[in-house]
Amino acid sequence: MGEQARLKLAIVTTQWEWRSHANHMGERFLSGYPRAGRWHRPAIDVAGAYVDQRGEDDLSRQRAEEFGFAVYPTIPEALRLGTDMLAVDAVLLIGEHGDYPVNDKGQKLYPRYEFFSQIVDVFRQDGRAVPVFNDKHLSYSFDKAQRMVAMARELDFPLLAGSSLPVTFRLPPLELPPGRRVEEALMIGIGGSDAMDFHALEALQCMVERRPGGETGVRAVQLIEGDAVWQAGKDGRWSRRLLEGTLARSDSRSGIALSDGRPQDLAHSGELEELVENPSAYFIEYQDGLRATLLMLNGAVQDYTFAARLEGTGEDAVVSTQFLLPGQPNVTYSACLMEKAEEMFVSGRAPYPVERTLLTSGMLERCLQSRMDDHRRLDTPELQVSYQAPPVSQFSGALESAT
Amino acid sequence: MPHTPKDTSGRRPRVAALVTEYRKYSHGQNIVDRLMGGYGWESRWHHPALDVISLYVDQFPESDLSREREARHADLRIYPTIAEALTLGGGELAVDGVLLIAEHGDYPVNEKGQTLYPRYEFFCQAIEVFRASGRSVPVFCDKHLSWNWEWATEMVATSRELGFPLMAGSSLPVTRRIPSIDMPMGAQVEEIVGLGVGGIDSYDVHALEAMQCLVERRQGGETGVVSIQALRGDSVWQALDDGAWSADLFEACLCRSFSLAPADESHRHTYPTREELPQLVGSPPVAYRIEYADGLRGTMFLMEGLVSDITAAARIADRPDPLSLLFYLGSGHHMQPNFFNPLCHHIEELIVNNRPPYPVERTLLTTGLSGAGVESLWLGEKPLATPHLNISYQVAEASTYRRT
Repeated sequence: MGEQARLKLAIVTTQWEWRSHANHMGERFLSGYPRAGRWHRPAIDVAGAYVDQRGEDDLSRQRAEEFGFAVYPTIPEALRLGTDMLAVDAVLLIGEHGDYPVNDKGQKLYPRYEFFSQIVDVFRQDGRAVPVFNDKHLSYSFDKAQRMVAMARELDFPLLAGSSLPVTFRLPPLELPPGRRVEEALMIGIGGSDAMDFHALEALQCMVERRPGGETGVRAVQLIEGDAVWQAGKDGRWSRRLLEGTLARSDSRSGIALSDGRPQDLAHSGELEELVENPSAYFIEYQDGLRATLLMLNGAVQDYTFAARLEGTGEDAVVSTQFLLPGQPNVTYSACLMEKAEEMFVSGRAPYPVERTLLTSGMLERCLQSRMDDHRRLDTPELQVSYQAPPVSQFSGALESAT
Repeated sequence: MPHTPKDTSGRRPRVAALVTEYRKYSHGQNIVDRLMGGYGWESRWHHPALDVISLYVDQFPESDLSREREARHADLRIYPTIAEALTLGGGELAVDGVLLIAEHGDYPVNEKGQTLYPRYEFFCQAIEVFRASGRSVPVFCDKHLSWNWEWATEMVATSRELGFPLMAGSSLPVTRRIPSIDMPMGAQVEEIVGLGVGGIDSYDVHALEAMQCLVERRQGGETGVVSIQALRGDSVWQALDDGAWSADLFEACLCRSFSLAPADESHRHTYPTREELPQLVGSPPVAYRIEYADGLRGTMFLMEGLVSDITAAARIADRPDPLSLLFYLGSGHHMQPNFFNPLCHHIEELIVNNRPPYPVERTLLTTGLSGAGVESLWLGEKPLATPHLNISYQVAEASTYRRT
């Protein structure tokens, strides 16, 4: 391929500092990344960037100098590369990190929708639209998220979004077997809201979306906190058997396992309830009757695990896995996600539906609304988001493991 | 001496553990605590179907946990000698399995840099009880068999003579792999590269076992090693420049690693250049260049600092890309060493089924490779013929690493 044939990418981001998503994800398009045992050089070059907040630790200036692209003062200029027409072939939108206000639901108001709208304005004005990857949820607001998806449909450009958890390695490489009914699902997550609970909810969603009938949306949600979470377990609202399944996959228990080295059966030892300071449970009731729960168990573990009970009674009726998040310095999960973004940039096709992230964005916003409304159960007729999961597994190592 | 068949009375097997020391995260603690308290396995907390009832502990550092464990477990007792641990203080062998975990602790180091862990000495004392009792039981020997080649061969010969199953080796062959793949059975493997960390005699065995558990599945099975040369420091970089191993296999190892050190001070995720490599390796790099009897070439690296995990890559005839993978040992602090879970699972099967899960010849060969590599370094990177490593064995097709 000649020099002129290479694709051009614009990075639109809130902040570009060490260990920010722009560093971990955007820079894969500068330096390449490991992929299936090779150092992969993407078939696309960063040609322009917009960085909303550039403080003392900003890295974008030195990256621009080193790699020969420009940082522009506005989003339209970054997409037009200083000309008067759209001049890039793809846009990487990273609205994560930076100093932005927090609303009364505890959501950080990252301007993803606002940036996206400016990108789409350029597409409209210039009569051409290119693929956009949106890091993490589409917007803190389900209403805005819906509008983003609608804009992509209207202008007919591929849009991919979401967390790295659905595409990172799984231990073991589990995908739910096709055609088998899912009776109940449980996800364990950690970290703060509304950053890390999003990751956990999307990990849950990418597993259950493969159930028979496909995804048809969510009819109600509820978020509860504190001792009510343990009581809900006793009442059967979430399954202790599935808790055993998830925790059997954890490699990072706190408490005795960490201090003394003795592995601990946290699902039954009683230690879990002491380790978790403020548990929360996100109850998701799907349109088709499936019930799923996300337990945020800060203090007990450090990893993200999933378990589901399938129809039937055999030993294989409970399945489980860990979503692996390899740590510093490589944070390889971010390369896994950029592999998917690159795939869309090059092929013009999103490898999995943006509706997964749309629904997850809505589930999270409504759960946080429930927390604000005295932890009330909320009907969610607006979350009737239907889609079909991609037939081929999209997580890293899935295809290699299958051969 | 006839071998006693498996006890079918329904009683849970009773196990004696002989450990050099029992402190947090020592191999003794990791293995014995898992067998006593269980561990995560598939979607369950797995409670092993055996009881560790006796311990021999060679050294009691301040951080010792064995006495705490004895107090915690009513059935567990620490004995002052290996013979008593095996006879429970009586006159005859009174257990159904023996764990020999002689890793960690304060032992002398010889002039070649080998730590003189008393695996053979412990083994011999157990054998004395077996012989005196006219009965033998399965033995698990953690890591390599002995730092001394003659002793290692004697251990394997003794197990054959008395007819008891002997299982040995590192957790590397059985831990999770990323991606979760095995060498295709019968593959025509042309070359393998393994990239590991740590020092000779301690961690070389892990990387060697990782490589060996892949190549032993090749066409014709394992037929042994004819020569080895070990390199250290600048010789390694010189050999790299001379093309002594395939560059794409080395690249595949670096690209399967989760811990590749960034060369760039401004925190770009980069692939190291040739010039950057020596700066990233903290201690002098080590390479073992191994020539197998059937023509297969292998190179094992220890490059602490460049990476902190263990990977391998192999070229297979008629395949465009190398087969490459990470042997997953965890990826961060705050983590448990759960690569011991599959090892404990195999130990349980060894004792319950009275059958080794994989041939001890694998570990005999890696024991010999480690010893020969250390010897070559000691002799100034001298190439050594290894006629003693004409070890042949064949593994079963079913994979034994943690896949589920």
